[in-house]
Parts: sequence; C-alpha cells; structure tokens
Amino acid sequence: MPIDLTIADAAVARAGRKPEALIPILQILQERYGYLPEEALRRVCLTTDITPAAVAGVASFYDMFRMQPTGKHVVRVCRGTACHVAGAERVEDSLRRHLQIPNGADTDRAGQYTIEPVACLGTCTLAPVVRIGESTLGYTTAEKVPELMRDFLANLATATAVKSTEDQGEHRPGVRAEIHVGLGSCCMAKGSDRLFHALRESAEAGGVNVAVKRVGCVGMCHRTPMIEITTAAGKGEFYAGLSPEHAAALVQRHFQPRGLVQQARRVWTRVLDSLLLDAPTEQRSVQHFSMSKRDPAVRAFLDKQVHIATEHFGKLDPLDLDEYLAHDGFAALARCLGTELLARPHPGPLPQERENPSSVFEQSSVGDSSCDSRTSQSRRKLSPLPGGEGQGEGEATHTSKITQSLLTSAATREAIISTIEKSGLRGRGGAGFPSGQKWRVVAQQTNDTKYVICNGDEGDPGAFMDRMILESFPFRVIEGLAIAAVAVGAREGIFYIRHEYPLAVKRVRAAIAQLEQRGWLGESLLGVGAPLAPTQGERVAKPDGGQPQSYPLKLSVFEGAGAFVCGEETALIASIEGERGMPKLRPPFPAQAGLWEQPTLINNVETLALVPWILRNGAEKFAAIGTAKSKGTKVFALAGKIRRGGLIEVPMGTTIREIVEEIGGGAAAGRRFKAVQIGGPSGGCVPARLADTPVDFESLREVGAIMGSGGLVVLDDTSCMVDIARYFLQFTQDQSCGKCTFCRIGTKRMLDILDRLCTGRATRPQLEELERLAVQVGAGSLCGLGKTAPNPVLSTLRYFRDEYEAHLAGRCPARKCTTLIKYTINGDCTGCTLCAQHCPVDAIPTTPYAQHVIDDAKCTRCDTCRLVCPHNAVEMK
Amino acid sequence: MSDSFTISIDGRPVAVQPGESVLTAARKLAIDIPTLCFLEKCGPLNTCQVCLVKLNGKLVPSCGTKVTPGMVIESETEEVHEARRTALELLFSDHVGDCLSPCHRLCPLMLNIPLMLRHLEAERWDEAIATVRQALPLAGVLGRLCHHPCEQGCRRGNWDDPAAIRDMEKFVTDQDFQKPETHLIPRKPATGKRVVIIGAGPTGLAAAYYLAREGHSVTVADRQAQAGGSLRAVGENQLPVAVLDREVALLARLGIDFKFGVELGQHVTSEGLARGFEAVLITVGELAPAEGAKLGLALAGNSIKADPNTCQTPLEKVFAAGSAVRPQKQLVKAMAEGRAAAECVHRFLGGQPARRPEKPFSSLMGRIDPGELKAFIRSTHSGGSVAPCDRCAGHTRPEAAVESSRCLHCDCRSSGNCVLQHYAQTYGANASRFRAERRPFEQQLQPGGIIFEPGKCILCGICVKLTEMAAEPLGLAFIGRGFDLKISAPFGLEVEAGLERVAAECVQHCPTGALVFAEKKLAAANGRGATSVDGNSAESGQTA
Repeated sequence: MPIDLTIADAAVARAGRKPEALIPILQILQERYGYLPEEALRRVCLTTDITPAAVAGVASFYDMFRMQPTGKHVVRVCRGTACHVAGAERVEDSLRRHLQIPNGADTDRAGQYTIEPVACLGTCTLAPVVRIGESTLGYTTAEKVPELMRDFLANLATATAVKSTEDQGEHRPGVRAEIHVGLGSCCMAKGSDRLFHALRESAEAGGVNVAVKRVGCVGMCHRTPMIEITTAAGKGEFYAGLSPEHAAALVQRHFQPRGLVQQARRVWTRVLDSLLLDAPTEQRSVQHFSMSKRDPAVRAFLDKQVHIATEHFGKLDPLDLDEYLAHDGFAALARCLGTELLARPHPGPLPQERENPSSVFEQSSVGDSSCDSRTSQSRRKLSPLPGGEGQGEGEATHTSKITQSLLTSAATREAIISTIEKSGLRGRGGAGFPSGQKWRVVAQQTNDTKYVICNGDEGDPGAFMDRMILESFPFRVIEGLAIAAVAVGAREGIFYIRHEYPLAVKRVRAAIAQLEQRGWLGESLLGVGAPLAPTQGERVAKPDGGQPQSYPLKLSVFEGAGAFVCGEETALIASIEGERGMPKLRPPFPAQAGLWEQPTLINNVETLALVPWILRNGAEKFAAIGTAKSKGTKVFALAGKIRRGGLIEVPMGTTIREIVEEIGGGAAAGRRFKAVQIGGPSGGCVPARLADTPVDFESLREVGAIMGSGGLVVLDDTSCMVDIARYFLQFTQDQSCGKCTFCRIGTKRMLDILDRLCTGRATRPQLEELERLAVQVGAGSLCGLGKTAPNPVLSTLRYFRDEYEAHLAGRCPARKCTTLIKYTINGDCTGCTLCAQHCPVDAIPTTPYAQHVIDDAKCTRCDTCRLVCPHNAVEMK
Repeated sequence: MSDSFTISIDGRPVAVQPGESVLTAARKLAIDIPTLCFLEKCGPLNTCQVCLVKLNGKLVPSCGTKVTPGMVIESETEEVHEARRTALELLFSDHVGDCLSPCHRLCPLMLNIPLMLRHLEAERWDEAIATVRQALPLAGVLGRLCHHPCEQGCRRGNWDDPAAIRDMEKFVTDQDFQKPETHLIPRKPATGKRVVIIGAGPTGLAAAYYLAREGHSVTVADRQAQAGGSLRAVGENQLPVAVLDREVALLARLGIDFKFGVELGQHVTSEGLARGFEAVLITVGELAPAEGAKLGLALAGNSIKADPNTCQTPLEKVFAAGSAVRPQKQLVKAMAEGRAAAECVHRFLGGQPARRPEKPFSSLMGRIDPGELKAFIRSTHSGGSVAPCDRCAGHTRPEAAVESSRCLHCDCRSSGNCVLQHYAQTYGANASRFRAERRPFEQQLQPGGIIFEPGKCILCGICVKLTEMAAEPLGLAFIGRGFDLKISAPFGLEVEAGLERVAAECVQHCPTGALVFAEKKLAAANGRGATSVDGNSAESGQTA
C-alpha cells in the first residue's frame, strides 16, 4: 500500500527541519501512521537536516516508535512493580493466549490485536492494569481476560466512547453549589469521567443550579471515583466508589431538581440511604463517608499527611487559572519579579467559611490561611522575600523597596537562591541533591543563554507522583519553574514529560497556553512591565513609584518517547537535542554545560511544586518540617499489597510503619507485611523488621534503599524477594541504553543468574558471582542507572538471603516462581468441573463427580483453577 | 604553558595541561591503561569502560576524565585491575567468535593451522613452510606420525570431513625438501649461554630446536650413535629414515651440536655437566627398571623428579622433561614437553623464574550449530576431503590448494592484531567467567570486500563516530538499546552501504575483528595482486 507522504511533509512543517526536530517529527509520524514507514523516514531525511543515521538510531532507541504496523487494537500491559506483584505476568500470558498472539510476536496473525508491554502506566493503585485503546482497566486477573475482551468489543460495537473532560473549564457565575469530581488518570480509569458527564447531564436535565467541577487527584485512589458536594451553605459531603448510575440520585438528593416524579426520587433516595455512613465500608460497592472525620480509615489515611506539593488537593480545577490565583497562585513568582498580583475575584461558589467544619482535605494542610477565601478578593499582603538582605518582616513598604531596586537583579536572585538553600530543599527526583546549591551553580555561570528544565520523565515503575502533580497542579509546577528561571537567569524553560502520561502533557500544554493568552508568558513573565491587555479583568499591581522591568520566559513541552534512562539528566538533554537518550560522562554537569552546551538547571516536578510554597511561607517554615538533613515533605505513590493505596504527602522522617500500617492500613487480611520496595529500580527492599526506619534521604540509604522518586510498593508474604530482584534487573536490562559495558552486559549477566535462581537451576558459585558482579556493575557503570541497578539485588541479598538459599535448593517460599511450584487438587474436590472448564490450556480433564487431576506438563501455573475452585481444593506447592 | 599543573598517578607526579585527560597524563608516565573505544580524533566515547581508574574512591573512565589540579589517581592497583578485567570478561561473555581456531588451540605445539591452510590455498608455498617451521620441530616427522588432535577438533568435520591438516603438513615439508636449500627458521643473535641436552629423542630434539632459535648454544648428547631415539624404531613405511635424517640435518644447520655415544651416569654426571654449562636438560626417555639409580638424580618412583611447572630437578641448573619424567604416549605431546622445557630453560637463562609457556588467550564460541556452520561453509570449497591421486606421492599442489580451501576460517581474522585480545592476555581475563547463552554466529560478507561479524562488535562506537565526522551519506548508527544494541547502516542496509568514505579507516580502528577486510581485499591493498586468497571472495556478493 502506498504511503501518504504528505503526512511526513506536514510533520516537518510543524516540527521544523533542524536535527533537534527529529523526535517530535517521529512522534507525529508514529501517531499518524501508527508506525514509522521507511518511505516516510527517507522523506524526512530528504527534506530536513536530519541524517539517515540519526533517524535509524533514534527511531530504534525509544519504546514508542514501531517499525511495523500495529494490529487494529493495541493492548498495553503494564509491567510496573505494583502490577508485577499483583500478577501482571499471568494477565499478560492470558491475554496472549486469548488473543492468539504467537510466541515471539506482538501481533496476532489476523492483525487485530497488538500486545505492548509498558514499563509503567503510572496507575499503580489499580494493579494489574491493562490499557486497551484509550480505556484503562484495573484489577485485571488472568481468568477475567476473556470477559474483559468481550466487554471491550461490546463497548466498541455500541460506540460508547467517553467524552473528553478536558474542555470543561467554564465558570457559571452565580452558581453557589459545586460537585467536585476527581479527574486524575487513575480516577478516570475507574470511570470518573463517565460519572462526571452523568452528573452534568443529570444536573442539566433537572435544571439544577450546580457546577459540576473537575478537580485534580484526590489521593485516595483506593476509593475513587469520588466526589465532593458543596452546597451554598458551605456544607461538603463526600461520596466514594461511585458509578455513573448514581449520578441522578445524587443530584436529586442534594439539589431538588424540578419536574421529576416524586416516586422515583423516593426510590433512589432509599437506595442511597442504604449506602450511607457508618456501616462497614469495605463490604459495599458504593461507599460514602462524611467530611467530618467519622470514618476511621479516612482519618488514618489523612491524619499523618502534610500537603505542600499537593496543597489544596481535591479542591482545585487543574486548569482554572483564576482559582489558582485565588489560592495564592503566582504570588511567590510575582514577588520574585518585584510586584504583587491582584487576583481576580473567584467566580465560583465561595469555598466554605472558616467557621464551617473544614474539609478533611484541608485538615492537615499546613499554611492554613492559604485557603481562606476571604483573602482571595483582596490584595495580598506578602511578607518580604525571605532571605532578602536584612529587610524587616512583613512590611509592605520594604517589599516594594526591594522589588523596585533589585528586580531580577543579582540581589533578588541571591535572595531566592538563599531562601531555597535555607529551606534545605533537596531534589525529589531521587538523589536528593541540595536544590539551592544546584541553582547557585547555574546562576553563577556567565553564559547569556541558560535553560531550566522540569524533569517529568517519571520512569520508576511503581511511581506516579509526578504524573499526579502535573495533572492536578500544572500552574504550580509552572510557577516553580518560572521562579527557578528567574533565580538562575534562564529565559527558556522546557517541560520534559513522558508520553505515557497523555493527560499530564495535555494539561501542562493547556496551562501554558492560558498563560500565554493572558500575556503572562513569553515576552514578559506575568505581564510585568508589559502594557496591560485592556480586556483582561485581572491586572498586575505595580509597587509604588517603580516600573518593574519585564522578564521574558518562553515555556514549551517536550514529550518523552519512552525511555526510562531519559530521566537521567544528560540522557534527557540528549533526547531534547534530538539524539538517542544515552547518558554522558559527568563532569561537566548540566549546570555547567547542559542543553546545547549551555548551563541548564534540571529539577524534578515535585521539587518545583514545593518552590512556590517555600517562597510564600518562608524557608524556616519549610525547614521546620522533616528531619535534620531532609527537610519538608515527600510525596509517595503508595501501592502494592496494601489496603489503602494512593497518593500521599508526608513529612520527611515519617516512619515506614506509619506509612504502611497507619496511612495504608497494612497488608490485606490474612497476609503478612514483609517489606517495602522504595526507590524503584535504583532502590531497595526494606524488611518489615526495619519498618521503624524514618523515611529520609540518609536513613533510607543506610538501610540499603534510596528515596528515589517516591514509589513505595508494599510487599507481603506472597511476594518472592528473589523474584522482585529479578523483576528489577529485568527492568534495568530492558531500559539500559546499552552504551557502557557494565550496564549493557553486566546487568544481563546478573539477570541470567537471577533467572537461573528463579527456575531452580542456579548453583552456589553462581550466587556468589551474582554478589561479586553486583558490586562491580555498581562501581564500573557510567551513569546512575547502571550504578544503582544492582541495589535491588544487594538489598534483597542483605535482608532475604534465606530466600536466595531456598531457591538454590529449588524452593520458592512465597510460591511465586512458577517453575518451582506445582498445582495439585486435593480430596476436597467434589468433581464440579469448574476448574476443567476454566483451564485455558486443557490441563485438567473433565471428570464429573470425581476428583480432578492436573496434568503438570500442560499446566502453565496461571492460577485460574485455584481462583475458580469453590471448595479450595486446588493447592499450590 | 604557565597554567600547567601537577597531578599524581600511582604516587608519581606528572605535569599536565588543563583540558588534558587522565589517560593522556598516564601515558606520559608510560602507564599502559587499556582502552578499546578511545581514538584521539573521536574524543572520549566512554563506552568500553576498560580504561577505569580510581579517583576519590570512585572508578571513572580515564579517557573522559579531565585533569584537575591536585588530582590523585590510582591506576595499577589490584582493585582497578579487577574492574578492568571484569569489563573485559563481560565483553567476552557476549563475544561470538574464537580468536584461535579449535585446531590451533588443540595443537600441543600451537601451530597456526588456518594460517598455514590459507597460505596453501593461495599457493604461497614459502609462507606456508615458514608458518609450519615456526611452530613445529621435525615437521616432516609430525606430518607423518602425529595423531592429529587438530583434525578431531576441526569444525569442518561436523559438515563432511575435517581438513586434512596432517597431510598438509607433510605436503608442505615434502615440497620444501625438494628445493635445493630447505627453509631455515631464523635464529636470534647468540646469547652466549650454553645448554646441554641429554637425550636426542623427540623431547630433546624439540627442546633443542626452540632453544637454538632463541640464540642459545645448544649441545645434544645421546648414548646412541644417531639422533632420533624412539623415532628410529618406527617402520620405513610410516617414517622413511631419509625424512628423519633430513630433519636432523636441519637441526644441525640451525647450529645444534650433536655428541653421540655419551651416556649419563657413565661418561658424564649431572653435576659435572652443570659445571660446564649454564643449563642442563635431561630428556633421556622412559627409564628401564633400575636405570634411574645410575643417573645421580632425585627420583620419584622410576622417573626423574622434576617440578611439573618449571621442569626443574632439585639439582640447580638441571632440568628434566619428557618420558623420563612422565611417560608420553603421543609423539606430539612428547615434543610439546620439549617445548615447555625449552621455555623453562630459556626463562631461567634470562634470569627469570622458570615456567611453562602461557596458553595464548582465546575467546571461545564453543559448539556451533548446523545453521551457523552453513554460514562458514558458504565461503569454502564445497566438497569433501580431497584424496591425492597418487597416495604414495601425496597431494599435488593443486590438490593441496583445494584441500586447504576447505578450511572454514573459523579463527578470527584479527587475531594477533586485536586490542581486545591483547588486553585480555595482559590482564589474564577468563573468557568463560560468565556462562551464558550465546548469540548465533553471523558473518556478513560485503560486496566490496568488508567482512562484518556483529557478534564480535563491542559497540565501542568508533565507526559510528567516524562516519558521522566524515558526513557519510548514510553512515552507521547504533540500533536498538541495551543488550540488543547493535551497529548497522540505516534502513536495514548492509554495513558497507554506510561506509562510502571511511571504510578503510573504520576497519583500521576497529578494536576487534568485527570489521575486517577479506584477504582478497587485503592482498590487493598490499600490492600482491588479486589472487583469490580467501574463499570468501568466491561468493562475495552474498550476505549472511
């Protein structure tokens, strides 16, 4: 079939002809063609400065690019940590069988389905996760696969595509009541978007004056879809675990719609009543809890949390700039620019008055006045820039003075940087490098051109903090990045966001577009110093007697193309420059010579999200939280074998036990909490007996883990620690760029030995070699990925050597390693034939009313028989 | 320049300029830091990680690390060496290819058999005899009597018949003997050291051959009236006496002095000999019962006592080897013992501790499957073993050339010229430290005469960089990622397609045998004409 080359030409026209346009061009081609046809690539080489070698190298480096067409439907199977421990492999096997995808291929012969493993979809609380087309399916199991595919096809046939929720920014003046619907990626995967539309429709149909409002992540992923209803009286109520069918009833219950049959209302109300309060929540499909802290589970989940990076979570519409402004948004940046913002009155209903019982979401929020709506209409009085040289506290005149004279001057920059330094902020991306120090190095460089980059290439399997922050608080991260730009003297900023996070990309792009539209980005940050656009309602107040200079800042989004290693700074830069994401030797550090050889500040999403708060509340206030060397809070993605998974933000120094047992509610009933995996592929496993270890940079390092980006996967007694080590080595092997010998081959040889262990074929000398090689790979690798890759092995060897020993003897104590276990049926079998019916490989002959027998040679250990057996007669040994 | 400063490497100061690398600084001190991916004009590529040094408690690649004032570097320490060795061993764990062919490795005398066969195939008779004589003493004898372990290891044998290696040795020596002046291996300048060897059997004669070539003055004494020992007892049909005599004559031409009718313990004593010579080597052959007592040497049972690693007897300067120490059943092994003893004596004479010759390093690809064999067969003569028309006269020249062209050339074309192999030998790397499933052997014969063997590529990136610097229209690229990373031309084209401008440069700087020219191309480049030297060129249009 001839290829339509106008697509290639259009891609070039859109992305440009320079070598660095390569990845964006390939992304467009991939999106339009579904793969990268050779003719199109040759065309690109002909029409641009891009060389064939560059195209070949780059196209084959990143996961998102394919050289072959996909099937009609792409089934993405998440291989993240949480999914892995929840049995993703079995799901993948089952999908392959069901979709008849031959071994070694990724597409079935009929070209209907392509199965595509993904390193991590970042929806860990729904593990195991499968994404088919646009819809994300959580809690999948091997035996549910046929049903899952049936539903997918049925939905396809009825064409019930879910409407986008991304164009829902409008405000309705005069509306006093609101329904907040959490619309993060994971909420949506559980149907929040459908609920959102159902609520809107119900409200409209009933003529009810209520704003159904999109908000960001609510954190309690284990209970979504979740809504909060606030009425004019300021009363807020929460519903969790809802489905779209409940929408009408909810509207009726709270807002007395017109023209509805009374009877119907009574019926529905009764249904909802039955789901109300105080009954044990876990037994119900729809749960409701009040915002007073009556629900102990909610209390436990929220009590220990402190929200800084996630300030106002569950409250803000991610893309409502005015709402962000009303909640102190851009105030910190304004001060850095020597001005103050006069926020536009918030058009929505007033948030609760202070005397009302405040929302649970605010209970533990620090900086309590920040949400106080009464201040949102008045000009903000800000304390002077903390760290400014000897200025008095809290006097507006002083503020003006500093800002007039020192606008983005060396002294202002110094003030910002020293505030960050004093706050003790350390990078949240993994290594915990002091942020202020990094900023200072970039600021000290004398180059004219400098860059700031927000590292949103959150690749750790089992981590989704950055996705959530970008999806929920795009303006906050932008503000943080803009402050960083001002501090170091950069005029261009780039958001590097992985393409697996489409919603995050979309929202950051939309947020940037809004700011540009308002004239707040581009030639003049926040419009300071630029002529006011006459139609805009908001304006920037200038300090008396001075005309602040404008600060130009251009922001753009660069979508990653699927390579974990691009989280490494030098690889990330290579990627932006249009190259394969291969790390370079440091020094020189990016702070000295980064993007295009210019000084470049790269900060993680969460780090930047903390910056505005620190500048608004002062370094001291931030430094008061946390431990001696690790200040402030840390956001964790809590997932794995735990009751209450979700997104949490806790002060540094909170113990693992507090997180796992109090916030997360511990392991599931009947299971024993065994360890937590912290820090992903670079981190380690901390055993339950060390659960009192405080979570801070130093303590975690001491116990052989690292903070990492904040993925925290809880493991229980069904998790095999050798398998976990193997899992992570497999991950680093898949993600290694292949540049240096130790990482490319060393991690492969480690994986070989782990594979042997997990299949009972390893010898003691090989185990010793594993340990020796782990140390050498750590010492000899070029970049951080390779240097830290052995950590999961070293930490499990340190704490769970007995499990390695057991594997040497051919035993898997957790019964996870499939070649070391065997399924049998015991005498409790009644011959009901269920197992035989469900066995996908016909390993169980149907023998009605007689004890069934499993043919071990055929058995694939998919666990289906054990799950379907009503008599618990299937045993796993 | 005034802004030069000093850094310290292994405790030695060295003056450096800003911007220099640690590697450059080390080279000033003549420290041989191994590098594979480093080529000055490409700048540091930092891929091989073999040039690691220790800086501030961390291992860093010396090629990419710039000097800073006061820098303290450790290079030649066991820890650093272990890291470098591990890097090499990791590379070998994924290195598909043998440096040395199995026949070469199996030859107790380490004859470079594939090289001999390539010379024969190309009818380079002089080079062929030189190659044989380089390794083999009494080559004409071995060409008739050797039990040829080489042929048992020959991979061609898994297809049809092994190459007739022993017959080719015979052919080469027979050809040579027909010339008025037979080939004489060069001798190093005289050392002035005198060695006496007692026993002119295979072990003694072999030892004499190697020692004489090293420039030592060698005397061989035997109680018999002729040299050859047990070889004299072999029947005429197997070993014509004339052949043995010619070989012995060759030894005499090499300057070896023969004394006959001299018996140890009767005419001379070991102590006496030790006084008159710098070294004594006893190779009297298997001792008859009670014969040992007469020799005046320490015995173990009925054999002479000698250290197996050094061939030294308890008596100073006196060495012993061969069946006198341990009965040898195979001729070539008895001669290999002579070779080992010669190395021990040679080292001893040079003031070094005596030890047997080191086994040359070789990467090992192990068993090859029928599919891979096919790739090798493609470029060889397709038929089975070529029997000589006249069995007695042996192979004719054309017959020998065809028989030789059956060799699979399964050794590496870069052996002896390979940086990876060199440093593996230097660092005592164990090529099989990491047992792993290996990739299939692949050989891409390019139309222009380049041979690309991807399994030998260590992904140093030099060729990728060179093509980029030369602005090759297509160039080469890294394809894929991680363990599946490979080098290829874009759009799945052959490597040669990416090498329009810098092919020769890439081949020259390839640190292994991944990118080489076929012999035909090489011969043309060396002005030897386009004789078809390499069977590969016969079907060179094909690609694996």
